Amino acid sequence: MLAHIGRRFTGLLLVLLIVAALVFFLTRLAPGDPAALMLGDQATADDIARLRAAYGLDKPLLLQFFLWLKEVASGNLGQSIFLQRPVTQALFERAEPTFFLAMFSLAIAAAIGIPAGIASAVWRGRAVDQAVSGLAMLAANIPSFWLGLIFIQLFAVKLGWFPVAGYGAPEAGFAERLRHLLLPAAVLGVVNSALITRFTRASMLDILDADFLRTARAKGLSERRVLLGHAFRNILVPVITVLGLTLALLIGGAIVTETVFGLPGIGNLVVSAVLRRDYPVIQGALLAVAAIYVLINLVIDVIYTLVDPRVRY
Amino acid sequence: MQTNSFSRAALTRRGLGGLAAGLAASTMLAPVAGWAQGASSANLAMVGEPQSLDPMASTADLVGTIMQHVYEPLFTFDANWATQPMLAAALPTVSADGKTYTIELRKGVKLHNGRDLDAEDVVASLKRWFDMTPRGKGLAKSLASLTAKGPTTVEIVLNKVEPALLAHLALPSGFAAIMAKESIANPLTEFVGTGPYKFRERKPDQFVVLVKHEGYASRSEPASGYAGKREAKIDELRFIPVPNANTRLEGVIAGQYQFSDQLPVESFKKLSAASAARAVLTMPFGFPYFPTNTKQGPMADLKVRQAFQMALDLEEVLMAGFGEPKFFATAAEHFPKGSPFFSEAGKDKYSKADVAGAKKLLAEAKYDGTPIRILNSKQYDFHHRMALVMAEQMKAAGFKVQLDVVDWATLIQRRGDAALWDIYITHSAFLPEPMLSPPQLGEGAPGWWSSPAKDAALAAFNAEPDPAKRGALWGKVQQVVYDEVPYIRAGNFGALSGASAKMNDFAAMPWPSFWNVSLAK
Repeated sequence: MLAHIGRRFTGLLLVLLIVAALVFFLTRLAPGDPAALMLGDQATADDIARLRAAYGLDKPLLLQFFLWLKEVASGNLGQSIFLQRPVTQALFERAEPTFFLAMFSLAIAAAIGIPAGIASAVWRGRAVDQAVSGLAMLAANIPSFWLGLIFIQLFAVKLGWFPVAGYGAPEAGFAERLRHLLLPAAVLGVVNSALITRFTRASMLDILDADFLRTARAKGLSERRVLLGHAFRNILVPVITVLGLTLALLIGGAIVTETVFGLPGIGNLVVSAVLRRDYPVIQGALLAVAAIYVLINLVIDVIYTLVDPRVRY
Repeated sequence: MQTNSFSRAALTRRGLGGLAAGLAASTMLAPVAGWAQGASSANLAMVGEPQSLDPMASTADLVGTIMQHVYEPLFTFDANWATQPMLAAALPTVSADGKTYTIELRKGVKLHNGRDLDAEDVVASLKRWFDMTPRGKGLAKSLASLTAKGPTTVEIVLNKVEPALLAHLALPSGFAAIMAKESIANPLTEFVGTGPYKFRERKPDQFVVLVKHEGYASRSEPASGYAGKREAKIDELRFIPVPNANTRLEGVIAGQYQFSDQLPVESFKKLSAASAARAVLTMPFGFPYFPTNTKQGPMADLKVRQAFQMALDLEEVLMAGFGEPKFFATAAEHFPKGSPFFSEAGKDKYSKADVAGAKKLLAEAKYDGTPIRILNSKQYDFHHRMALVMAEQMKAAGFKVQLDVVDWATLIQRRGDAALWDIYITHSAFLPEPMLSPPQLGEGAPGWWSSPAKDAALAAFNAEPDPAKRGALWGKVQQVVYDEVPYIRAGNFGALSGASAKMNDFAAMPWPSFWNVSLAK
């Protein structure tokens, strides 16, 4: 097991190196100059050149890459051009809303998706199954920005239950920040529940006709115990896989929702950084998200062995 | 012990469930007023995050909008765009040759650190402005000396007449902000000014909080535009970056924001129908203009540029950009009636929509069908919509057209390279002094307009200190712009903002300000 984790870590470093190179060169391929944007419309060429030099943007590209890589290796993701602060600090400040949004959304998605998937499989071909499949199809195809705007319109503007956007006033406590997260989390939860529903349904269908379930029923166990105690336990591995994937997607991909709801999370930071051509932030944030993605996959693998003794590395 | 039993209960499944339910209930059921702001603070939704809080480090409007509450200039503009004193006691005494400005400061003006403002603060601040800002650097070439002549007297001596000096010192963009000399540093870490609000906190991409400056010494004249009496009636201003326009709109309608800046004009009806908010139209807010590449490519030929000008129906172009006539106005004059710079020179060449005339000019120019590249960005939606209609009008006149749609950052970079574009789409805030905008009137701006007629007209205009005579001289510059087409000024447009129905005395100006504004309970 430990050897496996060690191998995975080596792979992880390789993946991150490739991501770092891709992110670095792709962002530099895009035209646009952070210094010109930063200084505004009336800036002179001299001012722009001075700012570029201050951030090392006048050096050859390959040299810039290796200098950045060297800093990253020592844990320093660089200095944001626009925010005038270390990228790691900016990332940590933005991590909280993204993390809680992702966890909250995952909880909502699981709370909808797992029971819906089980019900759909148990009543296969019946009205429940058709309704669940139809709704899952709808949820999977609704653009999150559109659903976000509908939710804002209904729950924030018309009913006034939630704030429209933002992450609470400066002095706000956690409960208030949570209130700001409810609506965007509901949007992401609904959208992401579709995949969990389908996975749960498919896995459950695979197992419902298994011999050990027939045996359990023959032993006189209640249908509830058969389904939850025996069948569900056996589909935990695929369900955990899809939950992990969803979490990774949520952390990396809440960009649209964070923008619509004005949440100061990582997604919002990346979008702003792209528009501002704040290279160190784009590079640092994407590298961090990639690292989280790979780590989540590693953690899922470890969890497999805990929930299913048959899985061994 | 009670604490222990609570902990144990919380650690059981039921306890955790109860805790979660309680937390959910407390957040769900707490009254909305729990997160809404009281009357003493205002949430102001702005288009984005300010580039900097140093008003001299960026010319971006957002920086000026926020920091004009913290810092004040020596002079400012009233509602009619006339220059008025702000930290200066009165307009300056100018020597007969127009080169020496003696400025008396208002006495008893308190800085945010409690100290009285003096001439040394002004000299240190203006030195920084002359050193750092693009407009200041341009003027620094004409600066002979800048000195404190006493505790409250400042003298600026020029080696050449600069009639636009006061307008430059008054503008909130690339702001000649007066700051405490001990706070001056590069970069600024403390923001110590004299304004009705002082800086409290900034969390990038979340908020900038300003609070009332209790020791503020106001002018006594009635408020007009940015001039006259200033009073902080709201205790705390929170500038919140909300880049999504729809979110800004819904936020002000729901009452979460007391002000939302720069909303899509399509939302006018919705905003007008809302009970908690109202629409605020600032007209004119600015002007769209289309610089041409006079250095390279087909537009370097004067006749091709003139054909371009002749082909355009600018009312149609503006309609595409702004949707309804109340949001724009066609105007051949670069300055409105009432302005000393109002002139109808060149009016006969404005928005001709003359397809035959344009074709004739193209034939005379022997235009070879090289595509005209119109550089534009969807980041400003109205730019792109104007480009689409403009392209069709040009095609009808015999141009071949290529729309190069890029994001704003790319446009800013590409327009600096003469090989990459022929026309680009941009806009400027309406500014009361011709030399402030567009930059093509100066030297080296994209388009690289340079001609003997330009030099002669601008030299005469910039050498005349007498405001009464400058108007007529501006007319001659305007005529050259119409003759040589370094850019086309499409007309004027308005900006839509949303304000809470409870917000009183908000005066619509291009850089929105919130002193003298109150919120009803």
